[in-house]
Amino acid sequence: MSIPFLQFLVGVLFLTLVFNHLTKKNFLSVVAFSVQSFVVTLVFLHSFLETGNIYIFFMVVFTFIVKVILAPMFFVRLINRYHLPFSVSTYLSMPITLIVIAVLTFMAHSQKFVPLTNIVPPHQIILSLALASIFVSLFLIVNRKEALSQIISILSLENSIVVFAIFAGLEQSPSLQIGIIFNIFVWIMIATVFVSMIYKHFGSGDVTSMNNLKD
Amino acid sequence: MSILLLISILLASVISMIITKKRFVIETLSLITSSITCITAFLTALQVSSVGTLTFFTFFSVDALGAIVLMIIGSIGLATTIYSIAYLREETKKQIIGFTRVKQYFVLLQIFLFAMYLAITAGSPIFAWIAIEATTLSTAFLISFYNKPSAIEGAWKYLIINSVGLLLGFFGTLLYFTAVASIGEGGFVSWQTLRDNAGNLSPLIAKIAFVFVLIGYGTKVGFAPMHTWKPDAYSKAPAPLGALLSGALLPVAFFVLLKFKMITDLSIGSSFSQTLFFVFGLFSIAVASLIMFNARNYKRLLAYSSIENAGIMALGFGFGGLGIFGAVLHMIYHSAVKVVMFFSAGNILLKYSTAKICNIKNALKVIPTTSVLFILGFLIVTGTPPFGIFFSKIYILGTGIKMYPLISFVAMFFMTMVFIGFLRHVTQMFLSRSSETQEPGEGNVWLVIPPIFFLLLIILLSFSIPPFLEHLIHEVVLYYSYD
Repeated sequence: MSIPFLQFLVGVLFLTLVFNHLTKKNFLSVVAFSVQSFVVTLVFLHSFLETGNIYIFFMVVFTFIVKVILAPMFFVRLINRYHLPFSVSTYLSMPITLIVIAVLTFMAHSQKFVPLTNIVPPHQIILSLALASIFVSLFLIVNRKEALSQIISILSLENSIVVFAIFAGLEQSPSLQIGIIFNIFVWIMIATVFVSMIYKHFGSGDVTSMNNLKD
Repeated sequence: MSILLLISILLASVISMIITKKRFVIETLSLITSSITCITAFLTALQVSSVGTLTFFTFFSVDALGAIVLMIIGSIGLATTIYSIAYLREETKKQIIGFTRVKQYFVLLQIFLFAMYLAITAGSPIFAWIAIEATTLSTAFLISFYNKPSAIEGAWKYLIINSVGLLLGFFGTLLYFTAVASIGEGGFVSWQTLRDNAGNLSPLIAKIAFVFVLIGYGTKVGFAPMHTWKPDAYSKAPAPLGALLSGALLPVAFFVLLKFKMITDLSIGSSFSQTLFFVFGLFSIAVASLIMFNARNYKRLLAYSSIENAGIMALGFGFGGLGIFGAVLHMIYHSAVKVVMFFSAGNILLKYSTAKICNIKNALKVIPTTSVLFILGFLIVTGTPPFGIFFSKIYILGTGIKMYPLISFVAMFFMTMVFIGFLRHVTQMFLSRSSETQEPGEGNVWLVIPPIFFLLLIILLSFSIPPFLEHLIHEVVLYYSYD
């Protein structure tokens, strides 16, 4: 795959994150996550074609089955079971959210982070965009008030880190892939149990309603 | 070999506990497993003390600090199991929990212990990260154990904050991998590989990576400002678990963090990591001392005390030299005293059915043994002479005053604040009188034996450190003293 096409893929990943900041519908948020995970699958596939590493092929299959198909299906089931078509609001208003995203993207492309984005010089633009995706995912976690959105945000952060690792040439270690698989496994487990518990106990997924514990 | 034995026993025990349907069998299995793993941990430590770092199949390795933390996990794990059996029986009597919860508790407890052993013995930073992530999974379910809204809230905050922190830690770990030109040894990057290649790490990447790792594992340690999950989790988790979270998990996360500090120091010198340790250490002590003053819940009070002590350890490791010696001693004493305090807190909770400080009156007359244990625990943890923490603080601050007097004096000021704040609450809980009368009595004898044992252990260790342990501590000082 050519560098412009890879840039396009990482661009799609970044845009799905921006979209998740803007959308109010949980279903669309899940679709965006699925698209984002599909991008990660393609990036893994590219890495496999370049290196021929069998572990990476395993990651292609695993990411596709778990992140592109199973996790979104599970999230949609949750949305239907608890009647959650709309996400609860964000902490910041839409214009401020967009400004923060712009600042974070600018920051990732700034000279300060050149040591990170220049790990593999031909991939500098891609790494800058992947770094911007990491920052925007982090912002998504803190800006969203709903439990389901927070889980999707954390999985998006992981997607962004994985893409960064691949383009930084760090994807070949099998232990690294075990780490990624384990993290996905942990979050699917957590999502299964905790989201249901939260909706059962609090009647909504709004994490701001969790205010029992204070000093 | 003992490392593999330790991990296999824990795994076999967890599987057996899942299958069985008898409470007695679960308790016995848990007790046997914790006893064997505790003995194995001590045998491993003795072996490390005599032959140096142990390595097994490159996937596992235990160095001097790892050996010390293994002993901490082993002993606290065993004490927690013994105490938990008595504690959960009392809760069952009160109809707070049933058999399913007991089974869930012991299975998760063993998984938690297994994950901590794995984190310490892992030969690779990624495996250590996976193990730390596994501790999050098992403890999250233990924090939400009572299935109440506040418990779910505590567990959720714990999950979100720790998972984000650990993902950042993962990112930082990946950045360290840039030092390894081609990922050799079949793609396995060990701690040793990273250490050997530290010189290849770009200085700027080393700095960024360490910041991410410090935020990541620092969240697990509980450094301020990433500490916010701690009071919520500690206050909502079953009381025995508090001892493990504070006494064992904190040193485990610290251990991994120190490994990265070492690699960073080899790459860019010690001043960068030292400065960050000072900032986070001092800030943690300050935040904890200010909040402790107005704490209203004694379990949250203990959580803030852990944050303060994590800060003190960070200062010790930052100062270097004798400061490291003090920090390792502080880690050992702090872990032991937190067992005494959390178990005492559990006994108070069983008696009064509340964790609010204002509702605990006249405890010295109602539960005298527990009260004395808690008061002595308070004196030890705040560094009152002649107990061990007094000496470890002297080592740390004594080293600091020579080179960084301002940092040391500010730290001392906030430590004094902690003492005053803590004393205020202890006085209210144990010496204030109430017209309401609670029936005096301690309950099950096994609720007081484990904390008494640990109290005696602290007193013993305050005046005499076994030669093998002293040797291990000196090894740690040599290993982590970059300058």
